[in-house]
Amino acid sequence: MIALVPGVPALLPAYASLQDPVADLRAACLAAVSGLGPRVRVLASGPSGARVGASLAAEVGALVVEEAETGLLVVGNGSAMRTEKAPGHFDPRAEAFDAALRSSFAGIDAALAAELWADTACLAALPSLAEAEVTYDDAPFGVQYWVATWSAP
Amino acid sequence: MRLGQHAFGDDEALMMAIVNRTPDSFFDKGATWAENAAFARVAEVVAQGAEIVDIGGIKAAPGAEISAAEEKDRVVDFVARVRETYPDLVISVDTWRAEVGAAVCAAGADVLNDAWGGADPELVDVAAQYDAAIVCTHTGGVTPRTRPYRIEYDDVVASAIADTVAYAERALAAGVARESIVIDPAHDFGKNTFHSLEVTRRLEEMVATGWPVLVSLSNKDFVGETLGLEVGERLLGTLAATSVCALAGARIYRVHQVVETRQTVDMVWSIAGRRPPLRAIRGLQ
Repeated sequence: MIALVPGVPALLPAYASLQDPVADLRAACLAAVSGLGPRVRVLASGPSGARVGASLAAEVGALVVEEAETGLLVVGNGSAMRTEKAPGHFDPRAEAFDAALRSSFAGIDAALAAELWADTACLAALPSLAEAEVTYDDAPFGVQYWVATWSAP
Repeated sequence: MRLGQHAFGDDEALMMAIVNRTPDSFFDKGATWAENAAFARVAEVVAQGAEIVDIGGIKAAPGAEISAAEEKDRVVDFVARVRETYPDLVISVDTWRAEVGAAVCAAGADVLNDAWGGADPELVDVAAQYDAAIVCTHTGGVTPRTRPYRIEYDDVVASAIADTVAYAERALAAGVARESIVIDPAHDFGKNTFHSLEVTRRLEEMVATGWPVLVSLSNKDFVGETLGLEVGERLLGTLAATSVCALAGARIYRVHQVVETRQTVDMVWSIAGRRPPLRAIRGLQ
């Protein structure tokens, strides 16, 4: 079992608000991670990815392990330049970049990904989203998030 | 903390909105003297989110003597009306008289706010009898409705702590529930402006007693004298003092302006790490 979630720091308990700004995303992430079984290996690259992955695993009662995992949790997301208000401001290349990721994680242009503030280093390990159950596909803050699960690698 | 039938968590800061049934209080100058005007004021502060209303029938400053009978005429039926309309609202009554306290508790009041520091020794018995909360204030021993005149303290904060804690223990001994006792340094009561500033600066010492602390800062003369501003121009100064008291951990804020005070206290409560932000996403996407 494999799951993909974005490395969104707002998912961390330390950054909880009275009104959850990522309630839908959080629900999708927890549902996805809860399907990974009791031992979860986290594959993360972004600055907060490992923390977010570990936190989600802990919230569903799973252990984070280095080997002998029952499920793999990949943390990553598309560009952070989708809108004027996006963290990286608007870049006209961002939407096409994310659309290409939506088709396939193969052959990602790492230089362009860095320019577009995309957290894609771990995505190359994944099959395409077309083969996944995608439960979240949106860019609510100008950052492209996917939550997806693959039942077999 | 429990105020009558209403329980609150230790992390909550409460707004106590002032509702005057007086023709002559200093801030509103009789604006809510008519019963329907006072009732409209209650509706307004409830809509603004105040957890408590503090209903008073006698202004604090010197003036025409108001008998207990007259005071009861002003507040008892009004308390009953508010109780009937707002079952979830905490009703406090600002009185020092046990006779008035008993009548308002019978009509549904939850809190006896004794701004005059136990001038009537039987008030605690009334609070105990009705399982009401009591606010124990520090006045330096002055007679109700007198202004401070050349009052000196060796240490005003030590005096405020000693007197309010002694009053709290007297209330406890009389049978008032421990969770229903609140202390109040009573800014401007028996204090000059320097005293009130010092009490504000050292409020954490009162909080450290463990009794929940109420502060009544709203538009008072210590703010006016500090900034050279008349009544009606003291909101910013009030909010500055409110911030300091909130950082120290005061739990109840007796106020004229609910919305502004709530914003101030919420902001400070979050700075102090006692309240999460309402909705934080900046930099966390």
